[in-house]
Amino acid sequence: MSEVHCLRSVDNLFVVVQEFKDYQFKNTKEEVLKDFEDLAGKLPWSDPLKVWELNTNFKKKKTKRKKINQNSSKRKMIDNGQGDKLDENNVKKEFADDLIGSHILDYYENPAIKEEILTLVGEDLASCKDEADESSKEDTELRVLKFRVTCSRAGEKHCFTSNEAARDFGGAVQDYFKWKADMTNFDVEVLLNIHDNEVIVGIALTEESLHRRNITHFGPTTLRSTLAYGMLRLCAPQPTDIIVDPMCGTGAIPIEGATEWYNCYHIAGDNNPLAVKRAANNISSLLTKNQIKEGKQSWGLPIDAVQWDICNLPLRTGSVDIIVTDMPFGKRMGSKKRNWNLYPACLQEMSRVCRPGTGRAVLLTQDKKCFTKALSGMGQVWRKVHTVWVNIGGLHAAVYLLKRTPQAFIHPLENERATS
Amino acid sequence: MKLLTHNLLTSHVRGVGPRGFPLRLQATEVRINPVEFNPDFVARMIPKVEWAALREAANTLQLGEVPTEPVEGYERDEAFLRKMHHVLLEVDVLEGTLQCPESGRLFPISRGIPNMLLNDDETES
Repeated sequence: MSEVHCLRSVDNLFVVVQEFKDYQFKNTKEEVLKDFEDLAGKLPWSDPLKVWELNTNFKKKKTKRKKINQNSSKRKMIDNGQGDKLDENNVKKEFADDLIGSHILDYYENPAIKEEILTLVGEDLASCKDEADESSKEDTELRVLKFRVTCSRAGEKHCFTSNEAARDFGGAVQDYFKWKADMTNFDVEVLLNIHDNEVIVGIALTEESLHRRNITHFGPTTLRSTLAYGMLRLCAPQPTDIIVDPMCGTGAIPIEGATEWYNCYHIAGDNNPLAVKRAANNISSLLTKNQIKEGKQSWGLPIDAVQWDICNLPLRTGSVDIIVTDMPFGKRMGSKKRNWNLYPACLQEMSRVCRPGTGRAVLLTQDKKCFTKALSGMGQVWRKVHTVWVNIGGLHAAVYLLKRTPQAFIHPLENERATS
Repeated sequence: MKLLTHNLLTSHVRGVGPRGFPLRLQATEVRINPVEFNPDFVARMIPKVEWAALREAANTLQLGEVPTEPVEGYERDEAFLRKMHHVLLEVDVLEGTLQCPESGRLFPISRGIPNMLLNDDETES
């Protein structure tokens, strides 16, 4: 259980109640919703609920240990023979782990997540408060629980909305269990995930989508921490690697980097003063959170922020080991036309600062055409090693892994002189 | 801005090239942040660092004596590694300036963030 909670590229953790690979939706909205209502009473709830109970107790024990200031990495599995078996069979993880294979990764938006922004410091303090409310309910007796249903729906052929499905399914769940519905202060979160013809009913094991774990100050296009983690893993950071995000926005990637790869040095840079300010704020929040969590003296992290222009980086030639960034898509930020000029200039400047031979870059973009064209003229300095396809809020984007060739950077003017 | 970052930064004013390094540091406000000491990290980082520039910056901030070169067998010299750990990672310049040694151009550091943006007429292309 503890290991599952440590997974960094997972957005949400839930236990599957039932999975329908090819759900047959009826034709009218009324019929579809009635089906959902009927479904509630027919599902195999008891085992998943036991897992939920295990998980809740596990989390309570975790916060208790935090308060006593013990080393929180020594989490023990709850000693329950039956619990171990349940874990293997029923816990389903939505994994973005092996990015080395090119497959479509789906990150469809969970509407429950689009709420107000909570600070992570707030979350930690709140969970410490919960511990005080803990009563001795360690047995499997089902008391009157509070619940809510969250529905996330993706697909073009549905004749109903996620809200409608959640409402009607939720009504049936309430009748079946005699639980109390509560949108904010719930014990059990029932998930109804609908993706085209695939329907999964689950019970959440995490409170807040883990993709928001590090970011407190959001910007217009903040990258999910889980995606940032995946991108960083793709470039296999080595200890003391200098890792730079030259278009960092709110700093999602360097912050994820500084948390997980603290043996490296991370620099977040952007030309937009607002973005740099947000990145710096996110770094501060992270430092504060670290202080509270670890309870130790050390509150510095190997990360810095700089305001700069990607086309004119104030970095020494060949000084950077890894460049990881989310390039402007040209939809919410920038424009397709600007990309035609921006992309080649970026790739050129990145090739200059990147260490020849060992350096690499992991670049996310939706403007694949522009990127490919920009890259095509740079074979002497960049070699494309791998491409991963990603679905970002409905947009089909690509993550490119590039290796910096051993060729030293030649200044364009010198190049011209040499060839003329 | 930590000194390790300062060690990577260079001026990109047009025509300056490699003579834009190192930037002359001037600090009006500095904060010390304790960072967990990792001797392996420091030992491996030292060969990557431009030593003279680091020494100069450390002197400017009056961080004590830094040898002209890494001492022989520095990988096992804990006192030396601890000193360099402090210099590279624990000193944060909050307010000050970085100056291009060739053109004299000043880049401000505000709230720990250096602003290295150039005006259009100052840039290379």
